[in-house]
Amino acid sequence: MRNKTPSAWVFGLVAIVVVLDSFFLYRNPADFDRLLINALLALSAFVTLHARLLSLANAGFMAIGAYTSAILVVKFSWPLAASLPAAVLVCGLVALIIGLPVLKLNDVYLAVATLGFGEVVRIVIVLNPDWTGGPTGANLSTGFAYALMKQAQSWMLVAFLGLLVYFFVRMSRSRTGRAFRAIRENPSAASTMGIPLVRYRIGAFIASALIAGAAGVFYAHTVGSLDSTDFQFGRAVNILSYAVLGGAGHWLGPLLGAGVLTALPVLLRDVVGAWFEGLRNFVQLPNILNGLALMLTIVFLPGGLVALAGLRRGRRTVSEAALSREKGPVATNPGPSKEDLLLVIQDLTVSFGGLNALSQVGFEVPRGRVLGLIGPNGAGKTTLVNVITGLVRPTTGRVLWKGREIHRLSAHRIAVAGVGRTYQNIQLFGEMTVLENVIVGRHPRIRTNLATSWLWLPVERREETKALEKALDLLRELGLSHLAQIPAAQLSYGDQRRVEIARALALEPELLLLDEPAAGMNEVETARLSAFLLDLKRAGLTLVIIEHHMDLIMKVCDDLVVLNFGRTIASGDPETVARDPLVVEAYLGRD
Amino acid sequence: MDLTLLLDPTYLGQNLVDGLSRGAVYSVFALGFTLIFGILDIVNLAHAATYMWCAFAGWLVLTSLGLPLPLALLASMAAGALVAVGLEFLAFRPLRREGSDRLAPMISSIGASLILVSVAEAVFGSQTRRFPSSVLDPHPLLIGGPEGLRVTWAQVLIVSISLVLMASLGWFIRRTRTGMALRAVAASQKASRLLGINVNSIILTAFSVAGALAGAAGILVGLLTNNIFPGMGGQVELRGLAVVILGGMGSIEGAVVGGIVLGVIETFTIAYLPGGADFKDAVAFLLLFLILLVRPQGLFGQKSSVRA
Repeated sequence: MRNKTPSAWVFGLVAIVVVLDSFFLYRNPADFDRLLINALLALSAFVTLHARLLSLANAGFMAIGAYTSAILVVKFSWPLAASLPAAVLVCGLVALIIGLPVLKLNDVYLAVATLGFGEVVRIVIVLNPDWTGGPTGANLSTGFAYALMKQAQSWMLVAFLGLLVYFFVRMSRSRTGRAFRAIRENPSAASTMGIPLVRYRIGAFIASALIAGAAGVFYAHTVGSLDSTDFQFGRAVNILSYAVLGGAGHWLGPLLGAGVLTALPVLLRDVVGAWFEGLRNFVQLPNILNGLALMLTIVFLPGGLVALAGLRRGRRTVSEAALSREKGPVATNPGPSKEDLLLVIQDLTVSFGGLNALSQVGFEVPRGRVLGLIGPNGAGKTTLVNVITGLVRPTTGRVLWKGREIHRLSAHRIAVAGVGRTYQNIQLFGEMTVLENVIVGRHPRIRTNLATSWLWLPVERREETKALEKALDLLRELGLSHLAQIPAAQLSYGDQRRVEIARALALEPELLLLDEPAAGMNEVETARLSAFLLDLKRAGLTLVIIEHHMDLIMKVCDDLVVLNFGRTIASGDPETVARDPLVVEAYLGRD
Repeated sequence: MDLTLLLDPTYLGQNLVDGLSRGAVYSVFALGFTLIFGILDIVNLAHAATYMWCAFAGWLVLTSLGLPLPLALLASMAAGALVAVGLEFLAFRPLRREGSDRLAPMISSIGASLILVSVAEAVFGSQTRRFPSSVLDPHPLLIGGPEGLRVTWAQVLIVSISLVLMASLGWFIRRTRTGMALRAVAASQKASRLLGINVNSIILTAFSVAGALAGAAGILVGLLTNNIFPGMGGQVELRGLAVVILGGMGSIEGAVVGGIVLGVIETFTIAYLPGGADFKDAVAFLLLFLILLVRPQGLFGQKSSVRA
């Protein structure tokens, strides 16, 4: 898979689709607009799928766009060009209203909540015949809008689609594109990198609605009449099938998918149907093909056609020269040193269904100190880290960061505040390269946005170069620079752990929580890690380390806290704690 | 609207009876959803298409074969089990592998649903089919004289069959060995496998039970509305999902209570709101949306699995 040259496959696939569609258009040039509108709709489904959301609302938003524009043009004599932004805006607002409550929930709920959306839109259309012309609807050609309608020509669609593709190309190379890829691979890890999950999901849902709405506007003004039954469940599924067949990993996917699934059924019917009578009158053929495309793609080619071509978005390539440069200093962020207590844990209790994973745990981490958190498996250490980083809510008790309560904040806010972490069960973005993983870790510190990327503002280039350099410095520091271009999932266990540390440091945290950083490392690697952690400590970084390698703990830590069955059984300086009879008993058992 | 009508006890009672029987069908339908969700943590979006095929199976048995209603009910439930088992093999099992996307089974079930509906359109055409009128005595029971409550035999049957099905499902899940294995698989497939439970066969059992429930719902709705056509699944799918969310995803009690609540609310919307009949189809969506806003875990659900 990895060694395939993507370009040959991409050209091959694009060529096949172009030939297929040229033949299709040759048979009926009037289908050109339909092809382009399907491509737009496919992009709208792609946006949500790419953010790992399943939305079935596209057909409904298409209807809202189509009817809003038709009403503005026919009833209020608006020019088409003005109705487009207005109709799209309405779609965006509706998407916001639906998305806000639903997208805070687990991912299944969006599919369920949007399933009935098209139906509700249909009811609204049917119940307002004065505005919409009722169920079978607004015939735009009866108004004087007819002339305007004919101006909505294919070149507008081509231009609009071109603009969108430009946006997607730029986005895939931007900070936003990277964040979406991270969310796609591991939402919870992405949030502890400081990526606001819910905001990104709502953004994707709204963007998808905007594109579907625009597609609806073009649909209304190229078809010239509207029928409410055109925007129902079947349409939603067809749109989904374009994006799934093409693949949600790269913006080219939906275009390929729409190209194949728009042309194929028509060609099958017209060309193959010349020999088979039955096929010519088989009106369900397109739907059955789309259904099959969905099922077969998901089972046999989950990444879609683009995965076949080995395409992934925005793979960053770096020159060998850049990789082999001299190493720079470790980037740490000691922060202003006025508060002495960085982190305070007070009376923390977490219960899962009556079982206390933590009960009344409390300790303090002064700035610049290294705290070791030890205890047998199941003692609650990882739960504690999850509470501090906002992945688990405490049942009672408080977590204070520089004197401010943070235990009710979402994970990304805590990361932005300066808390970085690694995971016991490695949570890298496996498909992304080592370098990309580290750059994602820097997400909140990069000051660019979609606008800076679309407009090629100087800040975009400057910030991206800086992010790249900082990431390369970190990789060099951890001895990983030779692996920078390799997908993280292909690395050995020990290397993956070090990538996690590099990624967490890229955030420039004030506090770094390391959850078993030496697990799976041999003696030599562990010793090297200890030395590195001491370097970090000397540079002023505050650390909390969970670890079972006691030599590392004794060498690096200033203080220890020992947990057993969710309770603190000992705390203090390492020498004293190691001799504590309770601790010895917890580890070795009673005689 | 006449205010005295609103307060009339017979009118109120009549609407309660109608809402109850409507809700009973929703409950039976939603139980199939909730069973699969509870075990596999996925929404089977082909459940409604299964139900539609079952209604046609029942219709064929009643009309072409001319067999009596109880046999049609059994045939329909068997057809449902068959379709659901087929779905498990083709749309779900191939996706139960390491690192598979949670959305994948939902997407493949959407594809399966489109295929099932399109094939039904190709086979049966899009016109509406009806059960023969000889199936049930068309004269309603009159409770409290000719001006009193009108309860049709269809309603009596619907409510009693639903009650029997719900009770047997509850017994099956709680009291039998297979039911216990089912709950174990729902809690953790991995742990169940380690304990020697054949996870795939338990999931297969769950699908056949869910399919049989879809089959029963198909016949019951045929009795209630007498309206059988390929697109009929779309009308009940959203309602089923609204019921499942209202009751709490994966909760059996929730599906039963939720179905009845939705049935009664819909009937009252039609009866008491001016123009209610026109937007009765939107009631389920509004209810769904409201629940997600106020109490996303549903009436009987647990909070932990809901948040992103």
